[in-house]
Amino acid sequence: MSKFALEGIRVVELTTGAAGPTVARVLGEFGAEVIRCETRLRGDGHRGEDPKLWNKKPDFMKLQRGKKSFTVNMQTPKGRELVRELVKKSDVLVENFGLGILEKWGLDWPQLKEINPQIILIRVKGMGRTGPHAADLTYGPNVGNTMGSTYLWNYPNATTATAEPRTQHPDFMGGVTGAFGVVCALIQRKKSGFGQWIDSAQQEIGASILGPKYLEYTVNKREPKPEGNRSLIAAPYGPYQCKGDDRWCVIAVYTDDEWQRFGRLLEKSGLKAEERFATHLQRVRHKEELDKWVTNWSLQHDPYEVMEALQKIGICAAVVQDVEDQFKRDKQYAATGYLVRLNEPEAGEVVTENVPMRMSETPGKVRGLAPLMGEHTHEIARNLLGLSDDEIRKLDEEKVLY
Amino acid sequence: METVTRTGPLSGYRVLDIAGPLGLHCTKLLADMGADVIKIEPPSGDESRRTPPFKDDTPHPEKSLYFLHFNTNKRSITLDVEKPDGRAVFLELVRKADVVLETARPGRMDELGIGYPTLRAQNSGLVYTAITPFGQTGPWRDYKANDMAGIALGNLLYLAGEPGEPPLQPPGEIAYGMASTYGAFGIAVALYHRLDSGKGQYIDVSMHECAGHIAGYFIPNYGYTGEKPARASRKGEETDLYDPYATKNGYARIFIIPVELWRRLVDWMGCPPEISGPEFEKMSYRRKHPDIVTKCIAEFCAKRTKEELYDEGQKRRIAVTPINTAGEFIEMEQTKARGLFVDMEHPVIGKYKQFGVVPRLMETPGSIYRPAPLLGEHNKEIYVDELGMNNDDLVALRAEGVI
Repeated sequence: MSKFALEGIRVVELTTGAAGPTVARVLGEFGAEVIRCETRLRGDGHRGEDPKLWNKKPDFMKLQRGKKSFTVNMQTPKGRELVRELVKKSDVLVENFGLGILEKWGLDWPQLKEINPQIILIRVKGMGRTGPHAADLTYGPNVGNTMGSTYLWNYPNATTATAEPRTQHPDFMGGVTGAFGVVCALIQRKKSGFGQWIDSAQQEIGASILGPKYLEYTVNKREPKPEGNRSLIAAPYGPYQCKGDDRWCVIAVYTDDEWQRFGRLLEKSGLKAEERFATHLQRVRHKEELDKWVTNWSLQHDPYEVMEALQKIGICAAVVQDVEDQFKRDKQYAATGYLVRLNEPEAGEVVTENVPMRMSETPGKVRGLAPLMGEHTHEIARNLLGLSDDEIRKLDEEKVLY
Repeated sequence: METVTRTGPLSGYRVLDIAGPLGLHCTKLLADMGADVIKIEPPSGDESRRTPPFKDDTPHPEKSLYFLHFNTNKRSITLDVEKPDGRAVFLELVRKADVVLETARPGRMDELGIGYPTLRAQNSGLVYTAITPFGQTGPWRDYKANDMAGIALGNLLYLAGEPGEPPLQPPGEIAYGMASTYGAFGIAVALYHRLDSGKGQYIDVSMHECAGHIAGYFIPNYGYTGEKPARASRKGEETDLYDPYATKNGYARIFIIPVELWRRLVDWMGCPPEISGPEFEKMSYRRKHPDIVTKCIAEFCAKRTKEELYDEGQKRRIAVTPINTAGEFIEMEQTKARGLFVDMEHPVIGKYKQFGVVPRLMETPGSIYRPAPLLGEHNKEIYVDELGMNNDDLVALRAEGVI
């Protein structure tokens, strides 16, 4: 019996950016063989434009670890033919190029299913594969804009456009959700024998956790506004400033029992809980004074002291960690081996995040390094496409395997 | 009897959902893909029924919009598994289930006598999934964490907000969402494996570790260069990358990395001499001169609506997007053309529109065929029609406070 659940599944990847590569990476960690098609004509966004740095980018290593790199020039008819050969022998094709490119290469669904009716094609697009904006050009930071996330990620009554950070979280949730869709389609295929294509819109996946906001509009007929760190079900609630430069600890007190324990702890530091904080309703009503009262205490302590002291009495508390904390002070990451070190041949040591779950029978793991540009081209040409050494030499010279 | 025909690749699988908010999105993904998800609620109702917002701002167990979104397609039964009769009924359900999802603190299910070893003995094919704040091992395994705590430890919270102000939580529950998504992925992988092996397994998902995957490239970059970003104002440097520009009616973002996009933008703007020099083609140069670049683009944007910028910019192959409100997203042509919101009717909420299914499988798509269930709506259907209890049993269990 196979050790990895997806052993024997071959994934071909025609991607750039992050969301598409993440779909394939996640499948790879559970046993799929992932062949990343790319070209020396131009490094993708994460390899970068400078060929000297192609094999040295840590963000690339994170996205592409455990994959094989097959360099192929899709501008040539022979290159396209080779990739069609490749998908004939594969189970999944992941793509996230602009609309029209897959069509031009003869690999969109109507053409692809003629080549391999059992394949699963997943098309990862910012706005989805259909509709008047299917052809939109979007990068990670664009994806939250259209669906309300960027607007809503702000302080109440803000005068700026947004306070959202410089990240692209829908790329990553989109990638894992896409991988979920692919495995669902593999289950279907095993039961009924057919393949299919999946329309995976990052915008819609990002939006899928904002459902209650949309219901405010469709049920309550009003436009939800940015709420900042507001909560009506917990008080104290939010990040509280601690000792040090820009140090914070999230605290959330939900029940009266928790409040009693919290109050007793702070009283030990000489802070007497005021009468007007006695009930949840009063704490919510006097949130501003309550926050000041809590901050009087938290400011005297390192954020990890605050977290440990509160967790010890069963209250939700968590340090607002920066990336250095994740490396140096997060005891949980250290104990579970979350930070995985890859010794890349050209880049040297690169640290990436481990698979965030354990499965007892078919665990996932980081199965290998990120590939050098074209590292597996000849191996794949020979072993999978059945080309002879002479043919390979010729295709190298013609810059087809390039 | 079941009257609904489920579609989707997971139809035929039964999921027992005894999870809290951490697992809501997980079983929603499964239910929307066709799985029969039975939501097991304590007789007082799931805590997400008490979570705002509410219809007409009226707190009521059937009016939470939070509950309404995350529980589509699920069936609800009430069951107190802390009582011996409740435990026995739960074990009976487990024998007919494929998946159990729980989010209790580590060890709690064992204390209740319904931990994995017990359940596996009832059903060796069971896929048992625990999503918890920190996973089942490690020094923080017993710590409590809500969504904001997950985001905080994952480094995303630290980066959100203005410098000098408190870090700012996102509008949706991203850490819960990511943990739930990984949970659903793991369950699908385990079900796929089971098709051949017949074996179930135990899945242990850590929200804390899932949250570490959301923030981007900070972990690999820090490990490589020691670079440690802080909360950055969206003003000044890097403006051409991230700062939304004010338009006649709100904001729009113009995201420029490849040089072709910069050239197209300059061309669209009519090649203003201040930014048309070849030196501006380098991002590093533009970043050093926000006073020139930002000013010029800001003037251009201020004369147009965000929709005009979006439509014309995209026509010119530039990554322009409007900063929309939630309502504007629902009303967008793209959203409507894709039929993303579907018409629903709920006995208490009435007629309304509900967010649809992601992702879309074209041959065997999932669907939203039923709104979130009323508390205990399917007690009779499941206990009597499917488990074969009689009405006297139900009355006895109700009197005991088990259902």
